[in-house]
Amino acid sequence: MKICRAPGVLVTYALGSCIGVCIYDPVLKLAGMVHIMLPNIYENRRDNIFKYADTGIAETLRKMEAFGAVRNRLVCKIAGGAKMFELGDNSSIGNIGARNIDSVKMVLSKERVRLLKADVGSNYARTMFFDAATGEVTIKAYGKPELKF
Amino acid sequence: MTIKSYDDMDSFKMDVLKEIGSIGTGNAATALSKMLDLKIHMSLPEVKVMDYNKAIRELGGAETVVMGVLVQLSGEINGMILYLQDLKFIQTVLKNLVQEEITDYSELGELESSALLEIGNIIISSYTNAISALTGISIHLSVPVTSINMLGGILNVPMAEYGYQTDKLMTIGGTFMCDGEEVYSNLILLPDIPSLDFLMKKLGVESE
Repeated sequence: MKICRAPGVLVTYALGSCIGVCIYDPVLKLAGMVHIMLPNIYENRRDNIFKYADTGIAETLRKMEAFGAVRNRLVCKIAGGAKMFELGDNSSIGNIGARNIDSVKMVLSKERVRLLKADVGSNYARTMFFDAATGEVTIKAYGKPELKF
Repeated sequence: MTIKSYDDMDSFKMDVLKEIGSIGTGNAATALSKMLDLKIHMSLPEVKVMDYNKAIRELGGAETVVMGVLVQLSGEINGMILYLQDLKFIQTVLKNLVQEEITDYSELGELESSALLEIGNIIISSYTNAISALTGISIHLSVPVTSINMLGGILNVPMAEYGYQTDKLMTIGGTFMCDGEEVYSNLILLPDIPSLDFLMKKLGVESE
């Protein structure tokens, strides 16, 4: 998890089934990015709370608010959640990306953060850049044109 | 002592895995040599347990594009094996197998992809056969699947699957010398923790 102000740029490389969650306060130009690997935390795992959608997003919001962010100004953009290998439908490995997407969306609505744009799913890895000056996200992927939103 | 994480692998246990890796790599090199009709030399494989970020760095960086062949293990051992082929390895294989020279992954057609999938499958099977032969454990392999993409994204798959158990990956890396050129071979072996414990017990490696 990283937080920065303009003119900084946050990057997370090669998101596969993981999800990059970018949260932005446009007034302060304050950007927070967290790299989610799994949908939710289990009771007995308290190692790295930023790995999980529920605890990761909540803690990022708490830190951003400590820097002065205001909840109802916050907007969010997400990317990732791909299915890297075409395994059978009944395989849990295959759909971890989809479960991550669902969980992230649910946590965002519970935390009342507006989800502006998502580039999720499909079968390729994405590198995500998040510009704190504009709140713009750039996605780079292998064999795909660059995407900005 | 029961193994609770990959961190419980002491140097003695690692040596045992190295031996399995060695036999597996030997089998793989023999199979590869027959298929490609080439002399292949191999180095002693290195077995490493690394955390996720370090593994990505060691294997070439998050944005490096590789071809991953993934097989799921079931039966008495559960887990997965991921075999990573880089462009150089693919070039060497295709040059000798189908007499084609490629410069990028995008040039891979159906025939080439299928050949590479099969090579990956043979190499993975060489390792599982080594484990089976040594321990008498029966291991069932799923149909292999491939993905050509950024290394970081491909490594996400085993990391997410075992994210609740461990933050580490176990890699068996080695070098093949074929045609006077060095090609790296990287196999990521991920039995789940109970299976690893079972495997070590079967091999008679029990620490107090």
